[in-house]
Amino acid sequence: MIYSMLNRCLVLLFVSTAILFASGLHFEHNFDKAMQKAQNQNKEVMMMYSATWCPECNYVKEVVFKDKRVIKYINKHFVLLGLDIQKDKLPKGFNYMGIPTFFFINKDKKQTGEIVGGDKAGKFLKELKDLK
Amino acid sequence: MKNIILSILLISNLLLAYNSDDLKQVKDEGDCPKCDLSYADLSGLELSFSDLSDANLSHANLNRAVAHKTDFSRANLSFATFVKSNIKGAKFRGAILKNTDFYDARIWKADFTDAKIDRCDFNESALGSAVFENNNLSNSTFHGAILYKTVFKADVKGVPKAEN
Repeated sequence: MIYSMLNRCLVLLFVSTAILFASGLHFEHNFDKAMQKAQNQNKEVMMMYSATWCPECNYVKEVVFKDKRVIKYINKHFVLLGLDIQKDKLPKGFNYMGIPTFFFINKDKKQTGEIVGGDKAGKFLKELKDLK
Repeated sequence: MKNIILSILLISNLLLAYNSDDLKQVKDEGDCPKCDLSYADLSGLELSFSDLSDANLSHANLNRAVAHKTDFSRANLSFATFVKSNIKGAKFRGAILKNTDFYDARIWKADFTDAKIDRCDFNESALGSAVFENNNLSNSTFHGAILYKTVFKADVKGVPKAEN
């Protein structure tokens, strides 16, 4: 009996862990929708302005955003919004010098912080934490 | 005796120093091909898209400089420092890179084709999509460097192993 329950718990733990890691990071692509979602979840919006031709942007998406610590931290604190320099204009009041730029936006649509450029997961996570 | 040695060192440094007109030109206009900028302090300067090809930048301080797509082709960059600089897309084709310090620099997509690379420090730098061709990297260091999609052509010696 105890053995069977333990087995079930282990299976449940395995499935929930698999779901958590499989989910990774979800990008919103609409500013207003992201703002609404962030408000509902009492989080800030983390807006990534990037381009498909930018190697630094692709490194962040393909390597940094696959790091478990980064995923966990972003999912806990932010709603992630992805805008493409070739398709999307930045919302009014936001400016950039280079890509990728990460803007951090509170519920009043005010910028609270900014990270310019990508870095290795550990350093990027530290920069994220320093914003708080 | 000490004073004599110090004087000699001082005079030799003065003789080696940059041309002040060239320094003014690079600060005012950005472009300064074939200029003598040795020992110049260019730290923190905005030099993006500048032409600094064939320039003498030996011992120059380019720490924290922003030099996107700047052309350093065939420049002498011996003992120059690029610590924490942003030199994405810069061209170093045929440049002399002896003891050049690129620590923690952002060097995405830079072109090092035919550069004479000797004892350079690339530690903690970001070299993603940079191109190395016809170089010997065996005595340079790349600890903690981002080598994401960095291109090392077949003729490159001493290709560093990716750590991440």
